[in-house]
This record gives sequence, structure tokens and C-alpha cells, in this order.
Amino acid sequence: MKPDPIRLEIFKNLFHSVAEEMGAALRRSAFSPNIKERRDYSCAVFNSAGDVLAMGDHMPVHLGSMPMSVAAAIRELDLGPGDVALLNDPYCGGTHLPDFTMVMPVHLGKGSPMFYVANRAHHADVGGSQPGSMGLARQIYQEGIRIPPVKIFTGGRIVRDVLSLIVSNVRTPREREGDLAAQVAACRTGGRRLEEIVAKYGRGEVNRYQAHLLDYSERMMRSALRNIPPGTWRGEDVLDDDGLGAGPLPIRVAIRIRDDRAEVDFRGTAPQCEGSINAVYAITYSAVFYVFRCLIHDQVPATSGLMRPIRVLAPEGTLVNALPPAAVAGGNVETSQRIVDSLLRALAQALPDQVPAASQGSMNNLTLGGADPGRRGAIFAYYETIAGGMGARPGLDGLSGIHTHMTNSLNTPVEVLEHDVPVRVRRYSLRRGSGGDGRWRGGDGIVREIELLARTQIGILSDRRERGPYGLAGGQDGAVGRNELLLNGETRSLPAKCSLEAPAGAVLRILTPGGGGWGKKESG
Amino acid sequence: MRIAIDTGGTFTDCVFLRNGRLEILKLPSMRENPARAVAQALEAILGRPGGSGRLELTCGTTVGTNALLERRGGRVSLVTTSGFEDVIEIGRQDRPRLYDFFVTRPEPLVPRDRRFGLAERVDSAGNVLEAPGEEELDRVASEVASSRPEAVALCLLFSFANPAHERELARRLRARGFAVSVSHEILAEFREYERTATIVANAYLTPAVGSYLDEIGKSVARRRGARVRVMQSNGGIASAELAGREPVRTVLSGPAGGVLGAKSVAALAGFERIITFDMGGTSTDVSLIDGDLRTTAESHVAGMPVAVPMLEIHTVGAGGGSIARFDDAGALRVGPESAGADPGPICYGRGERPTVTDAHLILGRLAPEGLLGGGFPLDEARARHYMDRARGPVGSVEEFAWGILAVVNTTMEKAIRVISIERGHDPRDYTLVAFGGAGGLHACQLAAALGIPRVLVPKFPGGLSALGILAADVVKDFSRTVRMEIPSRSAVRGPLARAFAGIEARGWRAMKAEGFARNRVRIERLLDLRYVGQGYELSVPAAGDFLASFHRTHERRYGYADPSWRVELVNVRSRFIGRTPGLPVRPRREVRRDAASVSIGRRASVFPSRGRPRSLTTTLYDRARLVPGHRLAGPAVIFEYSATTVIPPGWEARMDRYENLILEPVRG
Repeated sequence: MKPDPIRLEIFKNLFHSVAEEMGAALRRSAFSPNIKERRDYSCAVFNSAGDVLAMGDHMPVHLGSMPMSVAAAIRELDLGPGDVALLNDPYCGGTHLPDFTMVMPVHLGKGSPMFYVANRAHHADVGGSQPGSMGLARQIYQEGIRIPPVKIFTGGRIVRDVLSLIVSNVRTPREREGDLAAQVAACRTGGRRLEEIVAKYGRGEVNRYQAHLLDYSERMMRSALRNIPPGTWRGEDVLDDDGLGAGPLPIRVAIRIRDDRAEVDFRGTAPQCEGSINAVYAITYSAVFYVFRCLIHDQVPATSGLMRPIRVLAPEGTLVNALPPAAVAGGNVETSQRIVDSLLRALAQALPDQVPAASQGSMNNLTLGGADPGRRGAIFAYYETIAGGMGARPGLDGLSGIHTHMTNSLNTPVEVLEHDVPVRVRRYSLRRGSGGDGRWRGGDGIVREIELLARTQIGILSDRRERGPYGLAGGQDGAVGRNELLLNGETRSLPAKCSLEAPAGAVLRILTPGGGGWGKKESG
Repeated sequence: MRIAIDTGGTFTDCVFLRNGRLEILKLPSMRENPARAVAQALEAILGRPGGSGRLELTCGTTVGTNALLERRGGRVSLVTTSGFEDVIEIGRQDRPRLYDFFVTRPEPLVPRDRRFGLAERVDSAGNVLEAPGEEELDRVASEVASSRPEAVALCLLFSFANPAHERELARRLRARGFAVSVSHEILAEFREYERTATIVANAYLTPAVGSYLDEIGKSVARRRGARVRVMQSNGGIASAELAGREPVRTVLSGPAGGVLGAKSVAALAGFERIITFDMGGTSTDVSLIDGDLRTTAESHVAGMPVAVPMLEIHTVGAGGGSIARFDDAGALRVGPESAGADPGPICYGRGERPTVTDAHLILGRLAPEGLLGGGFPLDEARARHYMDRARGPVGSVEEFAWGILAVVNTTMEKAIRVISIERGHDPRDYTLVAFGGAGGLHACQLAAALGIPRVLVPKFPGGLSALGILAADVVKDFSRTVRMEIPSRSAVRGPLARAFAGIEARGWRAMKAEGFARNRVRIERLLDLRYVGQGYELSVPAAGDFLASFHRTHERRYGYADPSWRVELVNVRSRFIGRTPGLPVRPRREVRRDAASVSIGRRASVFPSRGRPRSLTTTLYDRARLVPGHRLAGPAVIFEYSATTVIPPGWEARMDRYENLILEPVRG
């Protein structure tokens, strides 16, 4: 039966508002600045089969990968009413270890669940060899606690054993506990809302329209795909290195467009590496999801239906579909960006007036940890990402000092950071002239200088330190990023990916990449 | 004589007291010079006999809002701590839309070449790490001067903890004759981007709001002792002098008046807990009042944060002019695109794309002779013609029209959920106060969807803002960031008392300047608290057991709380309230009677029945012919000068003794 266009719109709004309400509950009640100030989280609603029906406008990198968490939770656990599953294992539904995902079934009557609600939040520390759990590693075992799908709540009661097992393995246990409480609160908010919706519209109607909604998104995507000239469009870009000496690491993609279908083939991409920038399949899938979603020039719900006409081929054992025990902390944040860059380079040939030049292509992940002498040696663990330049668009300059593509997390205000962590920010400004020149200029990167007030373990995961973000149609590349340590009057250059310890008084300076330019600059 | 004037987009509404009675005057607005319309209104009101005594004029103004939206503010220069000149441009480093390669964000109100760094630094505890020397202060002051600003914004890191450097530089700049907006004076709170953006917006608005107020000052200059006040976004009024210095506090002046008006008429009618629903042509404002007015410091205006306290008003881009269309995959979408005033809805004669207003007309819910008492005819045949062409796969024009309303109602419903359920309030405990041209058209359907038991459509739904402004108290907010852990209430008694004493000394001076004796001032003290480690805070009253009330509020709002967790203080807030005399509205006698005898006719109107539109015989009324005590049952439509109220089947309406319409579902 064809859906009623009116009901369709109503249900679209309903499901979306459930995801948004969950996000509001999570943001406002979470503990760590990472969730509250930076908003590094996502919330979504799923049908009984685990298809996404709605997702809040949160983190794009979580977008395509959340269904895999739900699928893993369904597969591994028998979820009854009042149960909540928790997981972070990248090889079983997760992305990288700091992302804790909670999945709650919404039963609404006897039998199997009618819906699932889930949320994912980036926790500032999940143990492992380095504070912030985002440093260099060779195996996932060094990156923190690995949680397969387990029940954190059963029959509405918290499973204390699991909770204490987790918080015993992290550096800031109380903060973790508070954030997990907020995640549960968000799940329950979603569950309550779905219950109300079913009570109002009836099971049958809700079920019909969740299915219609998936079909609807599929039609939207097919209509966007028909606007891409058919053919095979190839793109390639590289990651500088894996932090352990191997590099450059190419990501190759061939996008085959046929009528209203697309096949995205990553064969030819570098094998998985020793360092921690391996991406699991969920991340690659998310990056593809993101790029094609951007080609739809209308508000459209981010449902699983969007991906029905798109097939993703990512060979196992490569950078874009790593197998255990590869380390993966940076796959989510760095490799995901480069996958986008490769895809856009391919699409730029097909749709030259719709695709921007490369953006900074890194999240410039910085983790700081240690003991704060100002607070009687209390342990701190802090994580931030630093924005950079956006690639120029055909017809528009790129924006400066902004997060692009797979992330949209906020900064931590200086006046919050310095209160919470023993550091002093000495400079936070735009990096003038770092955007690539062109008819349309790439956006500028950022200069961030942080003085350490205590002995601190530093972790940096960054990229685009060797090759700048590409320009398009004759535009110049953006400037490469730089990491530096200022100590005793000397400036030391730091690698793109590194872990080090520095004394109080040292200053860390990060210069983030500018965006690529678009089009040849007209002379005169 | 008390006069309130609210400048809207189309009309300038005046409400005033003459010989102890409320009167109303409506004049066309003058977009290019709103102060002239105010002057004309004053002439009209004061030119007639009966207006005696000291003139007390209060204005609601959109001058600030429009200057921000249309970016027609002043030339501003900004001074920050050296190294942080770009904070205003970087913002929170996020982008406003995720899935859009062509996303843009508003340009900062101060361009790069007018942002100056002062070599100074204070730490988070307020200790001076680097003091700016005389030479440095002079250098920056000179550079600012040579950038030829109309107004200067000054925002240094951690100035809320130690304002010494801001003071030094402000003194120098003021000595050179500049209007300076200083962050610790206007918003002594942490989060540097939000504070800087607010202070810059303030400086940006100073010239426009200043000249508007000067002109109003001239129009009242002949009246000895005249006092001019301005409606602020926080729901209170303040002297024109303060509004001229801190115009950023007026950016929601107009909507705040509407909320206050709704609050005062609802309170008279006996309803303390209300949800206001103000639906206009392009947007709809909703807010919730739980006895007291609720403010937030997290508002955004024109895409920029404005962190001074404002009434918590949630705006959605849907109104009578919202355009309906089918998207590529066949869903019916309504808004956010609006037909505005030009070309306007199809039935206005020029537009060709169906709007919410056209849908109402098709369904027989608008006066046959048109809006504004017949002064604005509507072309139904035209609406039917274009809607028939645009209805896509939908079976009939009526079904299409009904669908447009159903879709736009979900947007409204969502907006009300945001301010009620998401904040832990159950709509079933509230009365929906509907106003604006289209409020009464949608109110009952919305109330039904949310379980709201009652709708109130006030008398003069068009002049409600002016009424609210007339009834408003003088309200001034003072705050300061003070961060400390609270081991127990007694342990922080001393520091709290000191913190409040610090901000309240200024408060008393300000209230004195407004002409209030100490005994006519009430103070509300609030503490912004959170669990140690949380990133956002909740405001609770400072009186009594504030820790217990924090845990309670947290539980209600977020579903969990733990009294064993440590709590920290973030901000202290004092709100000074100077009461103005209430509205002298006298109730009329309410005699229960059937309104059928005064109906002005019947006609077929379409209402949803089991999810499908159905044509029903509907009774029509002219609100002017209803008197207190009149009752009528739906389906009915009540017309008045600038608004229409629909009473669906299953609902009944009565006029109360203050001439409000009270709509409720029929019991049983």
C-alpha cells in the first residue's frame, strides 16, 4: 500500500523528535566536558530488525555505524524488558574503544521488542596505556578496556559487577559512572516516547509507517544517485603514516554509478597497519553514508533506507576493514576523514560543481593526562579535537577554524579547560594564510598553544602533516599541519602521531591544516 | 499616565490607562523609523483630554532584533586578551548544518582588522599572571581609536574572576569618548565565546538602539518628569538609560511582551501554569510559565549566542505563511520556507504556492469576507485553483488542506514538547494561551494532541504584547561566576553571602536609579549548581535547602540524582524586581447563557474525523457580540478583528468575566 504523504511526514517528525529528545537528555545530564561541552555523542531509534529509523543531528561518524552496535547487541544477548546492553568493542559493533554504546529494547507488549533505542558517547578515558585512550598503540589490548555486548541493566536493575569491572579499568571512574547514568537516562527517555507514540497511533499504523519511512529515504537516495553521471569514478588519497614508520598509506576507491545505484569499492587500499589508525568496517560504511547523504539537497531523515541502493566493498585486512587485534583508536577520527577525501576526489570528476576541495582532513586529537599537583595529585584525563580549514566550494570560500565532515564536536572553552585541567592556553587563533589559494580560497586552520602546568603525558593523533589537503579545479593545496613542543627556549617538531611526557612549563603548539582552494585564481 | 507601546512588523499597538480605564490604539508601524510611529501614537493619546499625571511610557521594540537580523548595527572594535582575538570567529568550532557541503555561518560582527589583543592574563582563580603596563594600555587604546569605531567591545579572559584589566582599559577608552561595552559589567560569567559574542552584540546595537531611544526621549521632552522604560528580553522593564547602555538585553523585547501579557491575563482568569502559543505569519513562539517567568542564558539570535538572561521562548519557523510542497520522495512538507507578506498566501492575490492560511480558507475557517473585519478580502476561488494544481497524489483539495494543517501541527507540537516534556513538565497540568493571528486556529487541535485540558484565547489577542508591557515589573539581573565545591550548606554560607553582597550593591544602586525605594523591591536569589564534573548547571533558589532542591530538580529533569555525589556552585544570580502597579482590569458579571442567539450564521467547514476530513455544519460568531457567560459548542468559528478561533467538534467555549475565551473538551 502506498503511504499517505501526510502521515509519512508526521511519522518522520515523530521519530526524529524521539532521537532529538534523547540527545537533549544525554547532553544536559552527562558529566564529562567531552559529552556536555563538546557534544561528542549520537542518539538513534531502530526498528525491530535493527534498521535506523531516526538519528539526531549529532556526530556523522556515528551515523552508519550505530546499526552495527544494535545488530551485535541483538545477536549476542537476549534482551528482555528493562535490560540495557553496553558495548565498545570495535570488532563487535563498536568503532573505537572510547565510544561506549548503549542499546535498549523497547518491548511494548508481549513478544520481541518493537524498537531499539541506542546512544553512543565518547568517554574521555577508557583505560589502556595512555590517559585519554587515544594514543599510539600496536594492538587493541593497549588501547583500553574492551567490552563486548554485555548487560549493564537487567530487568531495570543495574548490574553492579559489570559497572565496577569497567570503572576499575579507567582513570576517572566517577566521571564514567556519571556519563553512563546519563546514557541510560537518554535510553529511557527514548523508550517512553516510543511508548506514547504507539499508544496514540496503534501498533499496526506505527509499524507500517516505520517501513514506509525506510522506503521513503531509499527513494530520496535513488533520486540523488540518478543525478550523478553513470560510470566509474576513481579517487585516491593518502594518510601520512601510521605513527610507527609506515607510510604513506593510500586509500583507493572506485565509485560505480549505474542508474539509481552505487557501488563503492575500496579494493587497492593499503593493508591494515601496525599503528592505531585502522578503521573497522563500520567506520568506512559511515563515511560512505555521510558523503552520499550530503548529495541529497533536502532535509531527509538519516535512516538505514538511505543506504539500500549503495553497496560498500571493503576488503578484509585493509585499512578500511581491519581485523583484530589491530589498534583502531585513530581509525574513527583520522582514517574516516581520509576515506571522505578519497570519495570526494572521485565524485569531483562526476559532479565538479557540487564537490568541495579537501578540508583539513584530521581531527588533531590531543589527549593530556597525569596527576594535578593543584588538586592533591588527583588524576586527570582530557581529550580534545582541534578544528581546521574547510575546503573551498565551487562558488564559496571554505570556512576557517571549523570542524568538517565526520565530526562536529565543540571546543572546550578556555575558561572551562583551565579550571578543570592543569594547563594554560596561550593562544587560540586562526592560522592566517593556511588555506589554499584559488578562485575560491580554502579556510584557514587554527593555532592552539597549551602550556602545561604539571608533568603531563601527551598523546597526539593527527594527519596531513606531510601532504596538504588537496585543491580542486586548479586551486592550491591547503597548508600542512604542524605539531611542536616549546621547552627551555627551544622549539622541537613533533611527529604527526606520538606519545610523550613533558614537564611543567613546556608549551605544546598545534597548527592545524588549511583547506584546499577551488579553481584557478584569476590574475590581476 | 501609563502608556505601553509595542512596535510590531505591521502595527504599533498602544495600551494605556485613561481615567482608570484601559484603552487601545493601533497605528501602522514605520519600519524605517519606528520612533516616529511612537511619537505619533503619543501625540494621538496625549492630545486628547484625560491623560494627566506624570507620563510613564514603556516601549517594546524590535530595533535591536532587526539590527541583528538585518546586520545593520554599528561599527564595532573589539579588544580581547592577546592570542584570543579570533575566538569570536572560531566560535565553538562547529558548523550549523552537518550534511551540507555548502554550509555557511554568520560572519562575525567584528571583522579581523578591528580586533585587538591586549597583552595581559588572569588565571581561573583571578590571580594576575601578566599585568598590562601603561604603555600597553595606551597602545591598545590608540589602535582602537584609529580604527574609528562607533562602539567598543571589551572582553578579556577570566574577567569575571578579576575585572581589574578590563576596568583599566575601559576607563581609558571612555576617557577618549567611546561607548564601551565591558564584559564583566554586562555578563560576569564564564565561557569566553558566548560572553564575547554577547558583548560584541551589545556594542553592535548601541548606536541603533541609542538613536531610537534619543528620538523617543525628544518626543516626551515636553512632559516634565516623564519616565521612559524599555521592555527587556528577561520579562522585565528597565530605564531607557540602561537599555541604551545594554541594548543586548532588549533583543527579545517584543516576544517577551507577549509572554507577559499572556501571563497577566491568565493569572486574572485564575491560571498560573500556562504554555503560551503565539503563531504569526512566518514563525511561532512558545514558552512555558510555571507560576514564575523562566529565563535561560543559552539563547541564540540570528545564529549567534546571546548569553544574558532571556525568557525561555522557543521559536519555530512555521506560521500562517509557511509553504507546503511535496519532496522528491513524496512526503508533504510544510515550511520553513514562507510566502511572507510578498507574495503572501495564494488567497491574498499574488502568491501561487499553497500555505497554511490557504488551507484554513479552503476548510472554511476564515471569515468569508476576509481578514481585519472585511478590510482585507481573501480570494477563495484562487486558492482552490492553485491548491488543486499542487495537491499531488492527495485525493481532494480538502484533504490536501487538512494534510497541510496536520503537518504544520506536528511542528508546533514538537516545539511545545521541547519546552514542556523535555524540561520535565507535563502539559496536562497547563493551560494553552493562544494568540497571534493564527494561534486560535490551531490551539484546540494542538491541545488535544498534547493532552492539554484547556485553551485560553485572550481578549485583544492582537494587543497582548502591549498589555504585557504595561503590566511588566522592573526586573534587573545580576550574576557572577563563582566556582566552588559545596561540601555542606553551612560551609559555604560565608562565601555565598559575600558573593551576593558583591553583585547586589550594584543592584541596589540600579533600582534606586529606577526610582524604587528599598521596600518596594523584591530580590530572587538563584544558584547555578551541578554535580562536580558536569558541564551544565541547573538554577535553584538560594533560599532554604538548595542542595535538596538541586537533587530534586535534577531527578525531575533528567530522571536521576544521587545525594551522595558532590555538588559544585558555578554562578550566583540575583534578580531585582520592582513592582509596578497592577492592571486595573475589573471583571464583568458572568451570566451563563447560550450564545446561539447571537450567532451570525452557519456554513460548512471541514474537520478531521477518524483521520479523514469531513464537512460539518459550523456555527459562526462575531466575538464582539459575545458577552461574559456566553457558551457555545463546536463545531464553531469565532471571528474578530485580527484573529480567528476554531472550536472543533467535541469542544465547547465560554467567555469568562474578563472576556477571555475559555475552550475545553466537552466532558463525558
